[in-house]
Amino acid sequence: MSGPIINDTTTKTTEKKLTIDPITRLEGHGKIEIFLNDEGNVANAYWQVPELRGFERFCIGRHVQELPIITNRLCGVCPAAHHIASTKTLDAVFDATPTETATKLRDLFYMGQYVHSHIAHFYALAAPDFVLGPSAPSNKRNILGVVDAVGVEIGGEVIKHRSYGQKVQEIVGGRATHPCFGLPGGVSKQISEEERAQMEEMARSCIEFGKFTIKLFHDVVLANQDYLGLILNQDAYYLETYYMGMVDKDNKSNFYDGDVRVVDQAGKEVVKFKPSEYLDIIAEHVEPWSYMKMPYLKSVGWNGFTTGPSSGIYRVGPLGRINVCEGYTTPLAQAEYEVLAKTVKDLGVTGPVHHTLAFHWARVIELQHAAERMLELATDDVITSDDTRGEFKEPTEGVGICEAPRGTLIHHYASDKDGLCTKINMIVATTNNNAAINTSVVQAAKALIQNGEVSQGLLNKVEMAFRCYDPCNSCGTHALNGSPALEINVRRADGSKLKTVRNF
Amino acid sequence: MSVSDELHRPRTLIVGIGNPILSDDGVGIHVARKLRDLGLESVDVEELPASGLELLDMVLGYDRVVIVDAIVTDEGRPGEFHVLEESAFERTVHGSTPHGINIATALAMGRKIVPEKMPKEVFFVAIEAEDIVNVSESMTPPVAAAIPSIVTRIVSEFVSDD
Repeated sequence: MSGPIINDTTTKTTEKKLTIDPITRLEGHGKIEIFLNDEGNVANAYWQVPELRGFERFCIGRHVQELPIITNRLCGVCPAAHHIASTKTLDAVFDATPTETATKLRDLFYMGQYVHSHIAHFYALAAPDFVLGPSAPSNKRNILGVVDAVGVEIGGEVIKHRSYGQKVQEIVGGRATHPCFGLPGGVSKQISEEERAQMEEMARSCIEFGKFTIKLFHDVVLANQDYLGLILNQDAYYLETYYMGMVDKDNKSNFYDGDVRVVDQAGKEVVKFKPSEYLDIIAEHVEPWSYMKMPYLKSVGWNGFTTGPSSGIYRVGPLGRINVCEGYTTPLAQAEYEVLAKTVKDLGVTGPVHHTLAFHWARVIELQHAAERMLELATDDVITSDDTRGEFKEPTEGVGICEAPRGTLIHHYASDKDGLCTKINMIVATTNNNAAINTSVVQAAKALIQNGEVSQGLLNKVEMAFRCYDPCNSCGTHALNGSPALEINVRRADGSKLKTVRNF
Repeated sequence: MSVSDELHRPRTLIVGIGNPILSDDGVGIHVARKLRDLGLESVDVEELPASGLELLDMVLGYDRVVIVDAIVTDEGRPGEFHVLEESAFERTVHGSTPHGINIATALAMGRKIVPEKMPKEVFFVAIEAEDIVNVSESMTPPVAAAIPSIVTRIVSEFVSDD
């Protein structure tokens, strides 16, 4: 294969508005609009997502025990995360404590989700930019191109291990894509010894695949000075924000349970809070041009799309989690965490990693951790016990939080005495990241598009600024034909369209 | 699955794709449920709430796969449906649908990596949707009204009598 294509030829545009719609390789149909000024530099940029209407109204009046099944249909990408957050919310609503077996089965199920989701993101969404190059032709810059470049055998391993993640979810959760096993205080399904042994075998294989993926990241991304240059590019991919993520009692990263920790731009803990306290910590800003709200830290306040200590914008997801934690409980993930820490320290970074593209490195570390944790749980005899259901009481109100692969996911329900839902509020991972994603898009656009010089490669580099967040917009919409992969509408300053350019 | 079971397994899979609580987005699921109610023995019928790589897991080992899903085209009328071959979607191979890769890309991946297990024929029954943004278990009237004729067409075209 030839080397990756980092840069391409730009052409001069005299247009004032560039629209990238829909965003390529992203769940749902997002749109980026870039407004140019008279000099051809970026005046501003906006990331917009479509609206999903009526979900709250749909849930009110239903039995709260239906919500783990309903909320997971919000999305074809992270249903497992919604199912877990919803089930944990039911624990709180019914004041129920899940048994050890139930807790570990939920955790094991969730590691299956992480393995599946992180493999899919890294190989299908991130790898095209790194293996083929951000400026490779768009009809090659996809997972099929990656398979052509790295070989069918590796492609087969990708498919196999992603499907192992799905299989673990299916065994534990009843169904892979829309699980149905979560109950207040427990789970509905017991695991047999044969199933446990099957999951142990798959977990061992996933650990090896995690090692392979980390090595691939080192060989392909970190060893390439051009990519390293992109990752370290502080003009385009660097935001000094707050970070949020879940940790255990020792401040080790935890995807399933724990307190939510927030650190500042220097890595100092700002607050550590319980799920029930989230409304004291998070407030939501509304922009007239966006359907999606912009959460921020209440104690800091909204200060526009700015960064630094005076802006309440925070980031969640792999980068958020790796910046709030003090390592991992499993050895291979911890070892790679230390490699990352040393690497950035050698570069002079003392606090959190603010480099936006480091999301990818954090994600492959998390893939390794999820696989290791999967093995820990799959080899724990308690998971085959029949003690799958704890006590529960009258329903009231409660909040449940877990770390979706894309970031902190919050569910909040209130119930009447009969268990019927009277209130529902959710802050999903991509919403938590919304303000930061917008800020990243503006930053990358301003740094990369100058003097009206535009190319598909440059626009893809703008997309890379938010694609690494793994944002998920669709919440379920997925009509068969999709839409064009990348469309750029060029408009005059008054907004009227001059021409449309598609990238295929 | 025993060898005997494998020999008698239907060679055709009909899979309805969609989100059943998102108005017309769920039309593929609703069609699949109607087909299942018919108790057809010569085909397998499945529901899939996602697409992309999940679909790939599902189709392996079948000779023929019929995918029933919603579509939105510029000039389509809600409830209208098209029976299309896989080649009709080649230009969307690089498009964006759930989890980064869409159905056509997933099928292309399968043909690259596990060609021997991939179905020889893949057809799409693409149904024009009107509303795919409002959360509802009900479809819009024109789409709901089209379901019987869609089911009839699928049975006549893809379900053998043997």
